Amino acid sequence: MMEFLSYGFIQRALLTGGLLGATCAVLAVFVVLRRMAFIGVGISHAALGGVALGLLAGVSPVAAAGGFSVGVAWVIGWITRRGEVSEDTAIGIFFPTAMALGVALISLSGTYRQDLLGYLFGNILSVGPGDLWFLLGLSGVSLGILALFFKEFLFLGVDEEAAKAAGLPAAFLNYLLLSIMAVTIVAAMKLVGIILVSAFLVIPAATGQTLARSVRGMVALSVASALVSVFMGLWLSWLWNLPSGASIVLFAAALFFVAYALGTLRDRRTPPSPLPPTRS
Amino acid sequence: MTCPPREGPAIQVEGLWFSYGNRSVLEGVSLEVPTASFVALIGPNGAGKSTLLRLLLGIVKPQRGKISILGRPPGQQGQPIGYVPQKIQLPKGFPLSVRDVVLMGRYGNLGLFRRPSRLDKIRVEEALESVGMASLAARRYQDLSGGQQQRVLIARAMVGDPCLLILDEPTAGLDPAARARFYAQVCDLQRARGLTLFCASHDVEDVAHHAQILILLDRTVRASGHPREVLKGRVVPDVYHFPSPHLHDVYHLPSPHLHTDSEQPGGQPHPGEGAGPKRPGGHRNPGEESGTASDP
Repeated sequence: MMEFLSYGFIQRALLTGGLLGATCAVLAVFVVLRRMAFIGVGISHAALGGVALGLLAGVSPVAAAGGFSVGVAWVIGWITRRGEVSEDTAIGIFFPTAMALGVALISLSGTYRQDLLGYLFGNILSVGPGDLWFLLGLSGVSLGILALFFKEFLFLGVDEEAAKAAGLPAAFLNYLLLSIMAVTIVAAMKLVGIILVSAFLVIPAATGQTLARSVRGMVALSVASALVSVFMGLWLSWLWNLPSGASIVLFAAALFFVAYALGTLRDRRTPPSPLPPTRS
Repeated sequence: MTCPPREGPAIQVEGLWFSYGNRSVLEGVSLEVPTASFVALIGPNGAGKSTLLRLLLGIVKPQRGKISILGRPPGQQGQPIGYVPQKIQLPKGFPLSVRDVVLMGRYGNLGLFRRPSRLDKIRVEEALESVGMASLAARRYQDLSGGQQQRVLIARAMVGDPCLLILDEPTAGLDPAARARFYAQVCDLQRARGLTLFCASHDVEDVAHHAQILILLDRTVRASGHPREVLKGRVVPDVYHFPSPHLHDVYHLPSPHLHTDSEQPGGQPHPGEGAGPKRPGGHRNPGEESGTASDP
């Protein structure tokens, strides 16, 4: 273990992965609450179109994917809010279209891009000192915004109409959440890759929800499970020479099943007490 | 908090038109909801009730016509509006407590960036107490019965100190006893605080016994006035395609807010009286506490 921790690239991977994982874990609480798992899949796959555009145009694929994903997320949000097309239909249109665009552009370039695999499956171990500060900054800003607007995002997720009636700027907050989601997904491509990032936007929160008795507890457990998954996933990846992204997601899934079993066991031992009578 | 008296109607709608694509939903709707009154909105499915409420809350914008909420356009009234929906749908197992749900009612007062203070938390406890739900504050909202969930949503709407409460089919899916308790409770709160209530409902019988004004909507306002007058004519059976020409007889409507002695303890009507009307304030078992709201 000490040898594992002594490498510079492992330290960078743990630091970046930890912060990205924590950001995904907090975001995952809202993804679960708002049943947005499919939008996570949609945005992450749309990012491939952005990566392809970046690679072809010779600009940073991460920056191109960021801009492209935020754009796709806003368009999905805008179409959904108009109420004429449902959210899952809008995602179902944009997700394969953006991904097909990515595939077509890469094919048009006529070259096989080895670095594309890194975006598809993630390679946190390749994070260099330059990437480190960029990803830390991105995660820090996303986490800060999530903390700042936590109560508003929660209210919107629980009852958007009541939140509007209470005077909250629902449209602004919805676009803000979609933007954070898109930016976090793009940043987390380095961690687990486009294909697996959507899992990291659901599994930690599902683990937290299984055991928590409050929303705060759910956030804390979600973050803890993400951090443990990143650490253990990287360690197992180093130990058994596994792809780091797959290793992290598999460990997160294993934690969920353990939490699910513990939760079921706890509920069997302590069945919920009947509701006391309340006065009218 | 008691609502200060204000001049003019709480809600004023003039010549409102709205359609989804080619499907017209509201056609020149004009209505007024007097301040500190209980106005009920009835109408069959597809009559435009929910769309009208969404317009009043500022969720969608009118295509033609004017809306004024407490003297301002929707969403710009500068004070929270209490909103009680039919229900809130949480993902299965989401650990949101009753207290958390009610605390959300303070967020409009707090504004962005500010966290709830100790005073806000005290107000939440008081609001829960006022609807008789203080003992369940720590429970998961999802674990409550439908009637209890509705009482929590009233507490959430009231904790923001609104002077206007908009209710969207708040008793859908509740049994008759729970419906009676619900309306008794909101009427108590309305009288205690001088609130304006605007309630869309399919429970024609219940709202007709509690509201001062009944508005029948079927894309346009088909009838409006005292519940007894609205239910007396042919228009309600016509709109609902209901055969009875005299709904006021079917519903045994008394004048609003008159005490009747036909109910037995436990809220059960005498045999042969049917479901029967419920008085504002509702019937209570001997020894039960009053549900009248204190000022939280």
